[in-house]
Amino acid sequence: MITRQLTFSTLIFLVLYTLQESLVNQIRLPGGGFSFFIIFTLVWSALSTPEVGAIAGFGAGFLTDLSPSSSGPVGQWTLIMILTCFGIAFLGFGDDKSRGNPITIVFLVVGGVFVSETAFLLTGVLLGVNLGSFGQILIILIGTSMWTLLVTPFTLPIFSRLHAITFDTSSRI
Amino acid sequence: MRYGGGNRSRLLLIILIVSSLFLITLDLRGVQVLDGLRTGSQTVLSPFQRAGNIVATPFKNFFSDITHLGRTRNQLEQLRAENFNLRTKLINRKNADAQLKQYKSMLDLAGTADYKILSAKVISQGSSQSFSQTLTIDAGINSGVRRNMTVICDSGLAGVIKEVYPNSALILLASDPSFRIGVRIAGTQQIGILSGQGSNKAVLQLIDNQTTLRVGDVLLARGSQQNRPFVPGVPVGSVLSVDNSAGAVAQSASVKFYTNFSALGVVAVVVGAPKTDPRDALVPAKPSPRPVPTITILVTPSPSPTATK
Repeated sequence: MITRQLTFSTLIFLVLYTLQESLVNQIRLPGGGFSFFIIFTLVWSALSTPEVGAIAGFGAGFLTDLSPSSSGPVGQWTLIMILTCFGIAFLGFGDDKSRGNPITIVFLVVGGVFVSETAFLLTGVLLGVNLGSFGQILIILIGTSMWTLLVTPFTLPIFSRLHAITFDTSSRI
Repeated sequence: MRYGGGNRSRLLLIILIVSSLFLITLDLRGVQVLDGLRTGSQTVLSPFQRAGNIVATPFKNFFSDITHLGRTRNQLEQLRAENFNLRTKLINRKNADAQLKQYKSMLDLAGTADYKILSAKVISQGSSQSFSQTLTIDAGINSGVRRNMTVICDSGLAGVIKEVYPNSALILLASDPSFRIGVRIAGTQQIGILSGQGSNKAVLQLIDNQTTLRVGDVLLARGSQQNRPFVPGVPVGSVLSVDNSAGAVAQSASVKFYTNFSALGVVAVVVGAPKTDPRDALVPAKPSPRPVPTITILVTPSPSPTATK
């Protein structure tokens, strides 16, 4: 059972990562655009237990670190995603009201994106990564959050269905 | 308390966090395994990126293209159906024309300075999520591209090769916040350091505080030892505004890059440096003022004016 879940999850994550790197990144959107892959990981975590959330965060963060366009050292996104995904899963787990409510999940995801981007900036400063002007950072932070708010409601049913198929859960959003 | 956690959960979290910190330490210490992983992932991704580039070409610049359409919504509604096929063809044609124009300008630039170049197509753009500015091109080690080679485009400096893979390479754009280049001012030959700011503007800091900067001054790459990472003479940008604040240790200025980083379709990697420094040979020509025609109306009075009753 676990092998099946792990294989399914890995495949889905790899396909979405490839889609993000090869297609979504090609489209230049104002305000920095959105990361399909990060949104998916956060939705996945919001629907899972904290353990699964942390493991999903580890995998997704590591893949993001392997992206050639990633500016920080390998492990930076991994660390941030572990904590963000664990946090999101922790907030949602055990509370069916929030897990079953799409609006709560959308706002959890938007909050997660904002927190992870801010954490990336702060850890980047600590690790000596150059991040650019304050105005540009602010535009990307706000822009990314807005795009996530716009995109997540459309993708949530698909991601929720994928999660349900993988974990054999009968309820989905 | 929504979730009590438990020892197993805490242990897992600690193991994962320690693993990520371990990865960061390994990467900062320059362990080859992690470089190999990044190289491997890029090698695997590059065919998908090529395919993605083909798929995304008609709509990837949608937001910038839409501002140039210059037509009203109603007109677009009426014409959309019949124009769909034509527009797709036109965009592809425009794309090809723009790339041809960029190629021509790049060849002119490289020819004037005697650079040996290798042209390449942009196959992917880096994600903005990491606050970095990068591009991936379809030429790599197999085509003779190496790390720290200068990359130029039709209007000047585009960036530098940051990573190189068998069939692709990653360019660190000049607009990236971590980008630094030694420049000199065309004419006065004063030198300074230009830093990217994450946009199409950069900050110039002059080494010598006695120099007088003027708006419009042209900046050229100074060049590096062994011509890596920068070959000399590449146009970088022009001074937009000068910061003359009293008490500043070094004079600084805001600089506008010549390159439009969001519209890079083709670039050229300088694989061979010129034997001699091209000096100011690549300074872009100033736009010549267009003469305004003067309209002269000659009126000749009639010899016998007619009286009106």
